Amino acid sequence: MIRVFVVAAIMASAASLALSSASGASRITCKDWHIDQDWKLDRIDVEYVEPKDPAYSAIYDDLKQRQILEELQQFLSAVRLPNKVLVKTEQCDQSERPYQPGGPVTICYEYIAKLAALATKIPAGGTTPRGVSREDATIGAVAQAVLHEISLVVFDQQRIPVWGREDDAADKLAGFLMLQFPDDTAHKLMNGAAFFFEASDRTWTGSDFSDVKSTEAQRFYNYLCIAYGKDQKAFGDFVQAGGQQASGGSSNAFRDDLLPQARAARCPREYADFKLGYDTFIKPCLDQQQLEKVITRVDWLKSAP
Amino acid sequence: MQILSSAVLACALIWSAHLKAEDADSEALLENDRIQIEYVKPGASHLMPVYETMKERKVLERLKQFLSPLKLPVKLKITMHECGTTNAYWGGRASGLSLCYEFFDFAKRIAPKEATPEGYSRDDAITGMFLQVTLHELGHGMFDIYNIPVLGREEDAADQMAGFILSQFGPEVARRTLPGAAYVWQQFNESRGGEWPHWLYSDEHGHDLQRSYNYLCMAYGSDPTTFAYYVDSGLLPKERAVNCKREADQMLNAFQKTMLPHIDAAKMKAVQDKKWLPAVVGL
Repeated sequence: MIRVFVVAAIMASAASLALSSASGASRITCKDWHIDQDWKLDRIDVEYVEPKDPAYSAIYDDLKQRQILEELQQFLSAVRLPNKVLVKTEQCDQSERPYQPGGPVTICYEYIAKLAALATKIPAGGTTPRGVSREDATIGAVAQAVLHEISLVVFDQQRIPVWGREDDAADKLAGFLMLQFPDDTAHKLMNGAAFFFEASDRTWTGSDFSDVKSTEAQRFYNYLCIAYGKDQKAFGDFVQAGGQQASGGSSNAFRDDLLPQARAARCPREYADFKLGYDTFIKPCLDQQQLEKVITRVDWLKSAP
Repeated sequence: MQILSSAVLACALIWSAHLKAEDADSEALLENDRIQIEYVKPGASHLMPVYETMKERKVLERLKQFLSPLKLPVKLKITMHECGTTNAYWGGRASGLSLCYEFFDFAKRIAPKEATPEGYSRDDAITGMFLQVTLHELGHGMFDIYNIPVLGREEDAADQMAGFILSQFGPEVARRTLPGAAYVWQQFNESRGGEWPHWLYSDEHGHDLQRSYNYLCMAYGSDPTTFAYYVDSGLLPKERAVNCKREADQMLNAFQKTMLPHIDAAKMKAVQDKKWLPAVVGL
């Protein structure tokens, strides 16, 4: 089920992006911005590495059976890259293995296990106050994790000029892609992606703030913001009711699981700024013909529940 | 007042060359009539000395010279005025950059009284703070004026613009300015008593300490030799330090692709060739 949702999300993104590119003929090419190398498709290799710890065998079997990486590979066939990159799932003996230039991309079994554990904070069959179900949380979090890492590969290999912290930019690109979905699915994905950060128990003090990544709370609000920035109607429920922020009362007056109005007011501009960056630097490096081919395969994905 | 003068003088020393005869050509080169500067007389009497000193030291004239390589499609207004608050801001293309007299008072209050063991002085701290806030807000201005896409968070990007520029004038300027940029955010954090409620993480700005560590990382990444003491002393944790070179490369890549096309190369060379930092011993 996870597989179908993630792949459907990605495919829908591709379809939507192809449409938008058809309407606005861009004169910028990939090579205007990026290193002058031999750009090719199909540069993604995938691998499921068998875990040493039998505790992760179930996750390994599941991912393999669902062919998550093969699906991702299909989507990425539209992305032109100068070099090959390996995307693998592996036991890391830590929850994450940060991407380094050149790759590989590693999705750790420990990370998936952590996602699954956090999702159990949501009562089975129920939702969080914001309306996130267990299923949404898992699907959105997996999509977020994978798309975040892929964004880093794109920045790295295409030498994208990233102003601001790279991991925040990767979150924005991941969110931007998820938002190309039809409203209802995008809503579930963004809700799920945000939940994982919302549910984190980590508290930050002192030198914790030297981390190259932003805090979970910041990433949580950033996901809500990019969604609300794109569509204030569809994501109006991500924002605190009017007056809450202005009251200046105790923090009890706020709902931590929603975006304060002060930030929300700026989100449409943030989204527009990101879209300008996407259109300028990233879109020119997608192969439009290949995208069309990818899109024609959406049909067989419609077996989604 | 004495401290204020020190700050202004320190800034002036960074931005201005001694007007030696041999520099006359480059002085003439560093003109840019698209940059408009103004000192607005403050209403509050306690800010009058600041206003007078700024004018006397020609701080904005020097800033204008420093920015002269910019190929500007629109006028760039830079105004120093009383704001009613400790601030500086980019007010959009029409209003331009606002620098508040109040900021100096703030910098004076939070600057360390004594030099650090690394030889980093009170004047350096004040200079670094002033340059951080000025170049940060100018960063917003550059993104606005040149329509530069920012893929990450713009507030961090503006910090990067400031840090990147300060790292482009050799180890001496970097050593004397970048620590102040990091210091100001440590001090902001302390002035808040470390209080940071959950909803504040929704702010577009990073946590004060994140901004401070980002500047430490920019300094170390751009010059690991000069700033080795950051890592040796534990100011910058090793886990982050190993990533800083890569982060510096990322900024260089972004600057080259998005800013460099808007910069006059000959003027930039003249700005970079200037002896920006004569000895300021005794200030």
